[in-house]
Amino acid sequence: MFAVEIKNLSKSFGEKQAVSGLDMTVPMGAIYGFIGENGSGKSTTEKMICGLIPKSGGSIKLYGRDHTDIDVRSSLGVLIEAPGCFPSLTVWDNMMLEAANLGIENAEEAVIKMLKTVRMEGAAGNKYKNCSLGMKQRVGIAMALLGDPTLLVLDEPLNGLDADGMRIMREVFLDVIADGKRSIIVSSHLLGELQKVATHYGIIRHGRMICELTADELDASCRTYVALRARDMKRAKGLLFEKYSRVEEDEAEYIRVYDKTTPEEIVTFLYEKGIVVTEIMTDKIGLEEYYTDLMNGGKS
Amino acid sequence: MENAVKFESFSFGKRVKSMLKVDFRRMFRSRLFYILAATALLIPIVMTVMLTMMDGKETVNQQTGEVTVMEGPESVWESIGTLPTDSAGDTAGGADNSAEGGMAAMGAGMDVMAMCNINMMFMLVCVFVCLFISDDFRAGYAKNLFTVRADKTDYVISKTLAGFTAGAVMLIAYFVGAMLGGAFTGLSFALPVGLNAGNFLMCMLAKIFLMPVFVSIFTLISVAAKKTAWLSICGSLGGGMLLFMMVGMITPLSSTLMNVVLCLAGGALFAFGLGALSRLILNKTSLV
Repeated sequence: MFAVEIKNLSKSFGEKQAVSGLDMTVPMGAIYGFIGENGSGKSTTEKMICGLIPKSGGSIKLYGRDHTDIDVRSSLGVLIEAPGCFPSLTVWDNMMLEAANLGIENAEEAVIKMLKTVRMEGAAGNKYKNCSLGMKQRVGIAMALLGDPTLLVLDEPLNGLDADGMRIMREVFLDVIADGKRSIIVSSHLLGELQKVATHYGIIRHGRMICELTADELDASCRTYVALRARDMKRAKGLLFEKYSRVEEDEAEYIRVYDKTTPEEIVTFLYEKGIVVTEIMTDKIGLEEYYTDLMNGGKS
Repeated sequence: MENAVKFESFSFGKRVKSMLKVDFRRMFRSRLFYILAATALLIPIVMTVMLTMMDGKETVNQQTGEVTVMEGPESVWESIGTLPTDSAGDTAGGADNSAEGGMAAMGAGMDVMAMCNINMMFMLVCVFVCLFISDDFRAGYAKNLFTVRADKTDYVISKTLAGFTAGAVMLIAYFVGAMLGGAFTGLSFALPVGLNAGNFLMCMLAKIFLMPVFVSIFTLISVAAKKTAWLSICGSLGGGMLLFMMVGMITPLSSTLMNVVLCLAGGALFAFGLGALSRLILNKTSLV
């Protein structure tokens, strides 16, 4: 059984087809990184999973039940676009409202626990409207986590978080899926951060799922490359361009050789041409480059 | 199955209870609720004081030369409900039982002054209902609510009950204000001839039970307008005006148990009927 199983899902807004024939499977115990360009249909899909917008066609099953099932829906945690908080109420009041919404018995205890989890216990008395973007995001995540949801749907939860916030979120995510039954769907443009926690990926484009893969599959399909720096970078680059088919210079001013080769081979080649290599290493492309390659129609 | 996930049953009762908790918690923490209740309390005081001060003053129409004598209220009950049709008929059309007399009596019950009484609260409550509901959508809280509520019935029930409670509080606040205004200006507290305290109690009960009729109209328009508060307020004022005229007739000061039963039945019918329509709108439209 899957946590989420979507078949042939579609949604149109008038003439515009936002999601078209989308298939998606989120296993239980997975952190599912949902990736796509702006306007690719991520948020629309997430909203349909949560029943916030009606679908035009297809089926959505959550833990084997239709997504309109009252019991399964009551065990969802959500953070889509921005936290749903009343600006004039305090963080505490907003959290207590959400606890009431979820019918939590020991509301105060649960709220204190969640605020501690996201390190917001000191700001409980602040009015929500006076919180910074990062603080608001933490409150949103705390609200989504209230009531131990079986499925968490988080849209850009890492936006505005500082390094500490990112680390906390990673810990929280791993804690949530620890029992192997609860799952998280998380969409983010911070692919580097996402890669640190995601166990599965779904890549969406123009409302269609173009690729679903596990973290291991991503790792296996990511190309290795040799990155180097040399005393005479300009000449080294020219020579490597002549010898290899795919050579690029990255943002950190390293020359990257993507062809099948070894550092020894490159060092020997450049040494024979009178160029001293000062740094050299092998590495793998990350999710970000894999995704960029995929979007550009390239191969990883 | 080892991997099966068990979901706790989120029964209808539990859902309604949790939704009511959310709405009443919010209502009693919102400034709007207290502002409207205070407004309901102050309106009759200000009106009674002003009208009493203007009592007997003459105004002359500059074009026609016609002299109009301003008449202030004679008893505090005038701001609570309209006089029975017969009494109004006596005033407007004399002891005339003819069709003209009856029409005149109706006219007396519907003039501007007759509308500037406690019945205004039926329109004022639309501000509360519309802003209360549109805030759910504007703040994005609707996402939290509807994610865990596949069935929208509990949402509609809770909003109707919250609106009804706010309306009832406003009616009571207006009543208190009217009594205070009467006490300040020394108006008579004597009930009109032929009426007793029971009639008055039935009149207030009938008004309170009529409140769901208006609240369910405002709720329907608000869930359709969602974030657009101005649209829901304008729509609600328009929709409310269609029924506003009948409030005075259905809930006169001479109300009996029959008026209360009629208002209760009307309130229940509107709440169920329009509530079902509101639920349908929520199910068929985007909630974000």
